[in-house]
Amino acid sequence: MLLNVKDITVHYNKVDAIRNISIEVEEGEIVTLIGSNGAGKTTTLRTISGLNHPTTGEIWFEDQRIDQLPPEKINKAGIAQVPENRRVFPYMTVAENLEMGAFLRKDEEKMNRDLEGVFKHFPILKSRQKQMAGTMSGGEQQMLAMGRALMSNPKLLLLDEPSLGLSPIMCLEIAKIIRDIHSEGRTIVLVEQNARLALALAQKGYVLETGNIVLKGEAKELRDNEEVKKAYLGG
Amino acid sequence: MELTTFVQTMANSVVSGSIYATVSVGLALAFGVMKMANHAHGEFFMLGAYVVYVFYALAGMPFFLAVLAAIPTIAALGLLTERLIFRPTRGNVLAGFMATAGLTWILQVLAGRIWGLGFMKMIPTPYMGAANIAGAQIGLQRVLIVPAAVILLGFLWFFLHRVRLGKGLRACAQDPDAAALQGISINKMTSLAMGIAGAYAGVAGALMAPIHAVTPYMGRDLLITAFIVVIVGGMASIEGAVLAAFILGFIHTFVTTIFDATSAIMVGVAFMAFILIVKPTGLMGRAKA
Amino acid sequence: MLKHKVLSIIGVVALIAVMSILPFFVREYYVEILIIFLINVILAVSYRLIATTGDWTLCHVILMGAGAYASALMAKYFGWPFFMTAPLAGATVCLVGLGIVYPLLRTVGFGFFITSLAVGEFIRLSWIKFHIPFGGPRGMIDIPEVGIIGPIDFYEAIPYYFMTLAITLVCLFILYRIDRSRIGKAFKSIYEDDILAESIGINVGRYRTFAFVIGSFFAGIAGALLAHRLGAIDPHIFALDEMVYLLVWVIVGGSATFAGPIIGVAVMTLLFEWTRPLLEWRPLFFGIILIGFLIFMPGGLESLIPKFTRLFGNRKAAQAKAEQPGGAEKSVV
Repeated sequence: MLLNVKDITVHYNKVDAIRNISIEVEEGEIVTLIGSNGAGKTTTLRTISGLNHPTTGEIWFEDQRIDQLPPEKINKAGIAQVPENRRVFPYMTVAENLEMGAFLRKDEEKMNRDLEGVFKHFPILKSRQKQMAGTMSGGEQQMLAMGRALMSNPKLLLLDEPSLGLSPIMCLEIAKIIRDIHSEGRTIVLVEQNARLALALAQKGYVLETGNIVLKGEAKELRDNEEVKKAYLGG
Repeated sequence: MELTTFVQTMANSVVSGSIYATVSVGLALAFGVMKMANHAHGEFFMLGAYVVYVFYALAGMPFFLAVLAAIPTIAALGLLTERLIFRPTRGNVLAGFMATAGLTWILQVLAGRIWGLGFMKMIPTPYMGAANIAGAQIGLQRVLIVPAAVILLGFLWFFLHRVRLGKGLRACAQDPDAAALQGISINKMTSLAMGIAGAYAGVAGALMAPIHAVTPYMGRDLLITAFIVVIVGGMASIEGAVLAAFILGFIHTFVTTIFDATSAIMVGVAFMAFILIVKPTGLMGRAKA
Repeated sequence: MLKHKVLSIIGVVALIAVMSILPFFVREYYVEILIIFLINVILAVSYRLIATTGDWTLCHVILMGAGAYASALMAKYFGWPFFMTAPLAGATVCLVGLGIVYPLLRTVGFGFFITSLAVGEFIRLSWIKFHIPFGGPRGMIDIPEVGIIGPIDFYEAIPYYFMTLAITLVCLFILYRIDRSRIGKAFKSIYEDDILAESIGINVGRYRTFAFVIGSFFAGIAGALLAHRLGAIDPHIFALDEMVYLLVWVIVGGSATFAGPIIGVAVMTLLFEWTRPLLEWRPLFFGIILIGFLIFMPGGLESLIPKFTRLFGNRKAAQAKAEQPGGAEKSVV
């Protein structure tokens, strides 16, 4: 198992943001966390990446226990996140943003090859290398944020609401790219409010509601599940 | 104003601006990276001057080496300040500022006890003589500050824009969470920022040592000026701080020459108020800190 | 809860009683200290009022200075008595506050902080620059004393002390009522969430101005009291160092409750006197204390009060306090 989140609870300002969350991610899978706003999806991803630490429970990545590590060590271990709202560095260029994705890397040659790979996924980034990231559109920033995350050559890619604020056409584009990235062999955890999109991409899914996992299973099953259909897929 | 006086004042303005800039960029950097408001920045400057006093005036090292010695010394002080004061108070700007106010008292008392109060240290001027420009005499000791500042500021620009580690500082200033996700260690960045802040304030003090009276309180006035520069420049903007530093240098020097020092500071404050009314984010500030 | 309120009132009355008896049991030197203590209490509590909106200023001591200069000028050149000049000084400082608040409101947080420092310095420098009427760097001397009224000679320490005590109690009462009123709650709501406050109809700019002007008034009163006790004032006693001390009182005592700053002034005044033998080492000692407080007890001494109440078995009272709407307030720092 690549990622094993064991029964974690995260406390935020005297309140439990997420409680007893357990998630298992096998190598090569796309696993999705769906749920409405405030369900705790972002908190879960932040905790995996080390921006929060669970008060109880453990998180294991490959053979390493990571739940108490600082974010830079978790990045080094091979987990990268594309955060909610992309969070590109607005006053840095596209090229600089991508360089930051590779901050810890020392292997110049492989890095450059990875950069070419990113440009293949996102040709627009290649032509806009000198542009200030803050002046780009939402869709372009999303691509930049994803490219940035890929620059660390992660084993596990965490995507937090990639479709947020994007037009349907852009959504489809991003979905295609997620498929491509997946077929390259990367493992992905996808957090989405857009349950339809998420369940179309993923093999496995977890449903979060007010901080708890209420349902889990194969994406197929979840798609056909009556409750899920009513709550998240528009009946 | 006579031509000679004018040229003299221009030259002095550039020198003032250079010192203000060198001192303020570190302050702006530290604030930009993690809202570290260093009240003891003036004391970093002061101790840089004392480094030159100890190594050059007392121990007889060459002036140039004494100035260089200030860099690691005060950088180390910056690192300590970050570790012991700013890190435990991270997230609370006021607490960090007030705690470094406490540090100010500590450093002033220590400097006074170690090197004595009451008489101003006169440091022999290593570069006697003056340059003659359009009839005005400008001490060489002052003149050399300008190229020194240019080199230091140029180096900082290069570091922040062409070196990955320096770019990490900018990333951290723009979005600490996103930076952390890329593997940038926030703790390393805050240490680095305060180390640079210390180094630059220290070098400025070192360069000023032969010119300014060296006392434990020599950093007081400079602190207020430095903060004004940072605010006028745009809180976290390095380029803004440099621009504001030179503008303020010109204002202070010209007004002092025509009127007096007190008026100069008042005009500087009025200028700051004017900028804030017209552009509250400062000359080159951004809506996002 | 009622028990708690009764206890509080008894506590306050007891304190006033102690403060009324104290001057007769100590040397005259200490009565002077007590007068300054009371002036500082007015200063600290009025500062904290402004701070409840989230605005921490660095110009409050200067505002006290403005009150001092205003009162001194009116007494010296117009010959007006203290009981006229004091409130007028307060009003003058209100106007000064209104005048400087505009550039200040354009900034928030740390920018506000430093801008208030610069603006304050501007005012202080004008006292240095303009020998007429402020007397320049040497300041003003021969400020008329409060003088003799009836059988009481206010030049003496003890009568002046009681006058100051009376004025302080009145000021504290007013400040307390404001703090507890709707206006006070509006101030705190701005600190909590200014966008939210704006959305329920609180004009944030106007309330920040209110707080600033009210705080300025009391700073002015404190300044008048100071000027007429010292008989001479100069710009240096209102410089940044004094402002930093004010901040130390508020931080050490705590700013979440009304009593916090008072505790801070009391503790620091005591410490200041006790540590006189330290001579030049004293600022270093205070520097260490300040750093220690900010790292280990950022809530200030007032944050220990609930702990004491719990310790001495009064669990219910502490709990009740915490459940009051304004009870478990966060420290403003």
